[in-house]
Amino acid sequence: MLLPIILPVILGAMGVYLLLPRVRPYPIFWGTGLSAMALLLAGFTLIRSGMALPENLLFYCFSAIAIVAGVLLITQRNPVHAALSFALVVLSTCGLFLLQAAPFLMAATTIVYAGAIVVTFLFVIMLAQQTGWSDADWRSREPFIATLAGFVLVGALLYLLQKTYETPVLDKLLERAEAASQSDSPSHELGNDEEFLTALQAELEKIRGGQDREALLKEVTIVRGSWKEWKDKRDFQEMRAALHRIAENGSKLRDQIGTMSPQDTTREHMSGYSVIPNDGGIPENVAPLGRTLFTDYLLPVELGGTLLLVATIGAIAISGRRTTPPHGNSLRRRGEGSPELEGKP
Amino acid sequence: MNPAATLQNYLIVGAILFGLGLIGFLARRNFIIMFLSAEMMLQGVAINLVAFGRYRGNLQGQVFVLFVLTVAACEAAVALALILMLYRTRRSLDVSIWQELREPGQEPTLDEEPLPPPPPEPPLPKLTPAGVEPPHPQEVSHV
Repeated sequence: MLLPIILPVILGAMGVYLLLPRVRPYPIFWGTGLSAMALLLAGFTLIRSGMALPENLLFYCFSAIAIVAGVLLITQRNPVHAALSFALVVLSTCGLFLLQAAPFLMAATTIVYAGAIVVTFLFVIMLAQQTGWSDADWRSREPFIATLAGFVLVGALLYLLQKTYETPVLDKLLERAEAASQSDSPSHELGNDEEFLTALQAELEKIRGGQDREALLKEVTIVRGSWKEWKDKRDFQEMRAALHRIAENGSKLRDQIGTMSPQDTTREHMSGYSVIPNDGGIPENVAPLGRTLFTDYLLPVELGGTLLLVATIGAIAISGRRTTPPHGNSLRRRGEGSPELEGKP
Repeated sequence: MNPAATLQNYLIVGAILFGLGLIGFLARRNFIIMFLSAEMMLQGVAINLVAFGRYRGNLQGQVFVLFVLTVAACEAAVALALILMLYRTRRSLDVSIWQELREPGQEPTLDEEPLPPPPPEPPLPKLTPAGVEPPHPQEVSHV
């Protein structure tokens, strides 16, 4: 159960470690190969995939581009290339936002990040242009420990996610129910049928979310009540039908866990404006977002505006300061040199 | 139901982006790449927030991402100003050049291995001579 997490994490850690810049770099083939293998493995084992719908394909494409560009960002020697791969990360993240029905955020992130921030970074790279090879780009600080820290964090997060959203026990129980509903004598196929029903009920009670959970739980309770009667009457037909219903509804419930369409059970607890209008019309994004921003979050919006103003003033104050007197610079540029500036860094 | 549109898948992508950004921030020595890595960590968090908002069916996740965007823009402005100032002072983007700011009692990190010699300058391109003189036919006079 742990193998699908550990294997891609270790492969990815080795790949990134080999790819990090150092004075004598390892052959690029090894790092690239290991990282690509880790990405493919993670895609196969970690992502709960379904049919080849366009949405799924787009999700795969955008997340793969984001992760590959992220690896490029941290392994590129040339800061200009790194800034461009950061733009790629941002753009594919915007694609993921669009898949999650957040078009306004997609536009805002594209304009602010890929437009403004990346261009400013490129300006700074141009202003601070270094000639030749520098320590900053050709060495890494403790590459092994850094990679270890990052991938231990990723592994822990993935393990936690798997523990929260995967239901291996329920899957196995539902498989048994399905197999028993196909066989001639369901109670014999199930083996310890009383224990099976108890385990199924306990497992269903543990699950959070899923709008069909209550109905399925009720059904299991009813079946459990009348199971003995059916067994005494040897009513296999009824048993098979009940088990088949349970297996079918259970797999439906399994697909509902963590599904990102709003569910009735979770909508009761939420506050604020809903994406879906009350009359059940077409889901909107921008209008409810604006309403939320300017009612519930009015004070944070004002604070955000103030923060922007303060940051602008601060940036001007910091970067406008001259570290060497301006006339000294102009003297040096003319080739005359100023004796009091000699020896200064 | 569409099984790929689950919360878990988006959370996995966000976690991986966050981890990569963490590695970049810890391991790289260029100021600019360190800040780009920090921004990438923010992107991973943004994916998580939007996914949770969609899962809950409300907009608070997206509002949070908008605030993250604002703060990231401020952070980039101030950080770039600082980077420019640091670069003007020491003429280098290397973080380790500022390592005298470390805590007392910490060993300095020294780079033992020298950098390889810089690559040779690429040769100047050979331009094809522009404006070749056209042949002039000898003028013959029959006077």
